[in-house]
Amino acid sequence: MNHPSLEVRIGSLTLRNPVLVASGIIGYGAEYERLVDLSAIGGIVTKTVTRRARAGNPPPRVVETPSGMLNSIGIENPGLEGFLEIKAPILSTLPCAVIVSVEGEDVREFCELVEGISASGVAHAIEVNISCPNVGPHGLKYSTDAGMAREVMSAIRPLTRLPLIAKLTPNVTRIGEIAEACESCGADAVSLVNTFIGMAVDSVTGKPILGTVLGGLSGPAIKPLALAKTWEVAQAVDIPVIGMGGITHARDAVEFILVGSTAVQVGTALFANPSLPEACVNELESHLRRSELSSVADLIGALEVPPGRGVIRAGRRAS
Amino acid sequence: MNLVACTVVENREITPGNFLLTLRVPRGFSKPTPGQFVHLRVSPEVEPLLRRPYSLEGFVERGSLRAVRIYYSVVGRGSKALSQQPKGQRLDLIGPLGIGFSPSPRRLPILVAGGRGVAPLLFFSRRLRMKKRPYVFLFGARSGRELYGLREIKGGRLHLATDDGSVGYHGSVLALLQREWDESGHTPLTAEVFTCGPHGLLHELAEFARGKGIRCEASLEGPMACAVGACRGCPVPLHERERYPAMCLEGPVMDATVVDWSRLP
Repeated sequence: MNHPSLEVRIGSLTLRNPVLVASGIIGYGAEYERLVDLSAIGGIVTKTVTRRARAGNPPPRVVETPSGMLNSIGIENPGLEGFLEIKAPILSTLPCAVIVSVEGEDVREFCELVEGISASGVAHAIEVNISCPNVGPHGLKYSTDAGMAREVMSAIRPLTRLPLIAKLTPNVTRIGEIAEACESCGADAVSLVNTFIGMAVDSVTGKPILGTVLGGLSGPAIKPLALAKTWEVAQAVDIPVIGMGGITHARDAVEFILVGSTAVQVGTALFANPSLPEACVNELESHLRRSELSSVADLIGALEVPPGRGVIRAGRRAS
Repeated sequence: MNLVACTVVENREITPGNFLLTLRVPRGFSKPTPGQFVHLRVSPEVEPLLRRPYSLEGFVERGSLRAVRIYYSVVGRGSKALSQQPKGQRLDLIGPLGIGFSPSPRRLPILVAGGRGVAPLLFFSRRLRMKKRPYVFLFGARSGRELYGLREIKGGRLHLATDDGSVGYHGSVLALLQREWDESGHTPLTAEVFTCGPHGLLHELAEFARGKGIRCEASLEGPMACAVGACRGCPVPLHERERYPAMCLEGPVMDATVVDWSRLP
């Protein structure tokens, strides 16, 4: 029992441990090379790449709220060609799994992105960002309607052999249904939650604080909400669930795994504490030892729940 | 740039609402240039959630002591938490970060400070003095009580302005600059401006500099999440609209005449 196994599988991808850094947090990895030990964690998810370069949203783009952060970055990125030329060569040298996040304005753009990223050989998996609240109406279109989710996932599935991870928005009534739709169209995993739509108001000036009025809320404030969504989705699908939302302490990662996550992503709290992902790995290993478990697989969904309790019927698969 | 542990050596209120913080840093901390900043964890607690970017008032190397100095105002949750950190408290910071003032100006440097924006300019003036470079220092504040660091400004010509007229010229530091420019016969070939202060003041200074063709470097301020160019949360609007440079990477000191101050909060 000295060395419990931390390996997990996301489709055909084996991660040496289940701790990832979420999209939008460490750019394309190199930005944080001196602050985060990438060789200690499972992998990173890149800043989302869009078909064409985006300048991003007008300032202010971030504001701290109680136990949280609102952001409205607007996926500032160099676009697919820029990504392949400038970012991909650096990414391929990183000592961890690289999951490239993509976002399209329509199904055709999603297809072009998946083909382009897949052909480049830089990605170990693709996270399909169908849940960005900060890029206008198309951002949430494909993750707030099961039919739309099916449309995009079934279009991109034949285009790549890489694991496809659908990233879901929590801004829906029945997230389990969206997850099921992605699973039924060949998603290898789902990741959740993206940010909750929120806003901040300055009562003195009588104006919204963010340049785009609305933004996405992350940070410890959303952890209970994110745990509930993760729990709900883990009951609805059989594919791996990658849980995230407000992981701030190392033990938070264990909580997400207990409710059914196969892997977790660390986000906002990394800005204050760059060693948090590594601390999550260490805590997970210690937890397995203390619990006398030989593998993280034994911990996934191991939450002890009294029979009939905690059932979210709306999102539960009929059996 | 590294994540380094630091310890509070001194943290005291020296002008109303404004604190001077001295943080001991390890030997591995790179020597900062004036205008650079550090991204500081303001409390050992989880809250406030984000670090706060502070430009440096100075860098101390005395015997075995290596320390950075920060001059800050208590304006919100982060700075309030910071003001409560006692001597001996351990914190950590990322830095030094960003682009500072051009270290060797080719023209006569005119340093224009507004309020607590004096901090990086005091740092800069000390470096100029070390290099035996003459400079002009114009310092405006709401009142005489906020004029911090005057004794530090040696080797340069100092003029003061206050909004309430309690000390020096009664009015804005911009008027002081206009007067200095006209009376001393400066031209864009002989003098340039380095400034830090409230964005409203920087906007006016940038307009003045643009109008006369004066080189003008300004140190900007704003919220940052990562401070290392990853999150893209600190965009600087420019007159050319194609892109938003990140304040943390391409600033905080930037050419004031290319910034679109009307779109910068």
